[in-house]
Amino acid sequence: MKRQIAYFLVIFIGFLTLIGHFINYPPLNDFIDNDATQWFDIISGFAAFLGVINLLQLHLNKVANKRKHYQYSIITLFGFIIMIIFGFIYNGSNVPMGPHLKEQGSAFYWMFQNIYLPLGATMFALLAFFVASASYRAFKIRNFEATLLLVSGIFLMLGRVPVGQLIPWWLSLEIYICLIFAITAGLFTNKKTLFYTLLISMIIFPFIILQLNLYQLAVFKIPDLQEWIMDVPATAGSRAIMIGIALGTIAQSYRIITGRERSILGD
Amino acid sequence: MKKSIKYTLLPSLMILFYFFIPLPIFLVGNETTFVCVILLCFVVEYFIESAKSGEPIYMRPIAAIKAMEEAVGRATEMGTPVLYVPGISSLDQIDTISGLTILGHVAGMTAEYEANLHVPVCVPIVMETAKETCKESYLKKGRPDLYRNDMVHYVTDDQFAYAAGVNGIMLREKPAAVFFQGKFYAESLILAETGNSIGAIQIAGTGSSSQIPFFVTACDYTLIGEEFYAASAYLSGSPEMLGSIKGQDYVKVGCMIAIVIVFISSMLNGYGIIDFNIETLFRTNVVK
Repeated sequence: MKRQIAYFLVIFIGFLTLIGHFINYPPLNDFIDNDATQWFDIISGFAAFLGVINLLQLHLNKVANKRKHYQYSIITLFGFIIMIIFGFIYNGSNVPMGPHLKEQGSAFYWMFQNIYLPLGATMFALLAFFVASASYRAFKIRNFEATLLLVSGIFLMLGRVPVGQLIPWWLSLEIYICLIFAITAGLFTNKKTLFYTLLISMIIFPFIILQLNLYQLAVFKIPDLQEWIMDVPATAGSRAIMIGIALGTIAQSYRIITGRERSILGD
Repeated sequence: MKKSIKYTLLPSLMILFYFFIPLPIFLVGNETTFVCVILLCFVVEYFIESAKSGEPIYMRPIAAIKAMEEAVGRATEMGTPVLYVPGISSLDQIDTISGLTILGHVAGMTAEYEANLHVPVCVPIVMETAKETCKESYLKKGRPDLYRNDMVHYVTDDQFAYAAGVNGIMLREKPAAVFFQGKFYAESLILAETGNSIGAIQIAGTGSSSQIPFFVTACDYTLIGEEFYAASAYLSGSPEMLGSIKGQDYVKVGCMIAIVIVFISSMLNGYGIIDFNIETLFRTNVVK
């Protein structure tokens, strides 16, 4: 019975929200846009207490039973109690309790500015190192796709820094020639032939391009090329994913509001 | 009524009713959304009905979904826990709901294999839902004795504090299998790289298109785009759920055809071969 009520609520509210998006009935639209979201916020607010209780229970249990790594729980509890004291009991400034949370002289504000924010910033800064290690793995030339990723990555990086604007057309052309030879290197059985063909191409092609007046083409300007990569292939790929996500979202929502998707209730 | 007629006639009537009723019953500006939702829902419903009536459905094998059971099995063999991260958003995001539906299946697997499940949560309301999901899954598998209340626990609401907390859990407990299923933001790479550094099998799934590249790079398997939403249906194996995925795929084929038509028509219009500009069809309110 308990489960049936849950299904009924999900189906009823789901359809009501969907209908409220299309039907021109102000009380219903108001309920969907304001009341329902406020109800959600209120329920979430109460759930915050459950979160706090859960956190305390978990760490107190760990400390009481001296479970593995219980020392970390002591630090967590210490931080929790300190912030409770500075938030509700000890002010440290001349303003009354409540507004003291945003008052520069208060102990709470000091803790927030000097401990909480730097710690958050530290975690965020770690991202740069993780990006470097992830990029190293992604850019390792293993197959054709990884090579494409590496090449487009290099062009993007070059095109987005000021030095990219200074790269002359002939240098871009030499980069392309090198890349083409890197891809087709497997076709050459003799390394000497490969080397001399590359050398001749690198000398001859700039003159040909100059003679044909093709050096002003956007493809020879790295910043323009990176813009094209971002605007065309990258956008096409991300739009394909976005269409899939949108269809998946509608189908998933349909399964939920028709009561077919019940895994969330353990079925 | 014949099934194909029912599923052609009914949506057509609804769309006609929407556009041509003289009374101001419907909101102005949502026409395109209405047509898309109606068409998609009816196509999905048609294939659900077909699947229920016994029509065989072929499902393309998805490596990430196949690997879920292997990952739980590996964690069981190694005697280490399975870590499940349901993202950092609340229940108002469909990704979080999808993450929790997949959690139901993963909890079922851990109950079956008697593996230890660990679910650190960022939002208290998600914690309560995740607890219920796990409890029901363990009960359904006939192993309520294995369920512990601290299996699902709250860490913090803050994005990077949560990332730090989960990283700490990973480094201390060394889980053999890590699942990232839900809505993620900048913390995705921090979590996935830490998981990678401890050598865990990592299976990610998210609808955040900006985080997909990070997961693809750092995780062993990634559910991309609609695969993430279909995972629960895929795992359930029930014909009606699988039918809904088939319906979704047919709509995708429809989208592809529409893109090609729009492209050709726009090109012809651009070169002045035809006068009709197809783009006007997709602007809302164009019918009214």
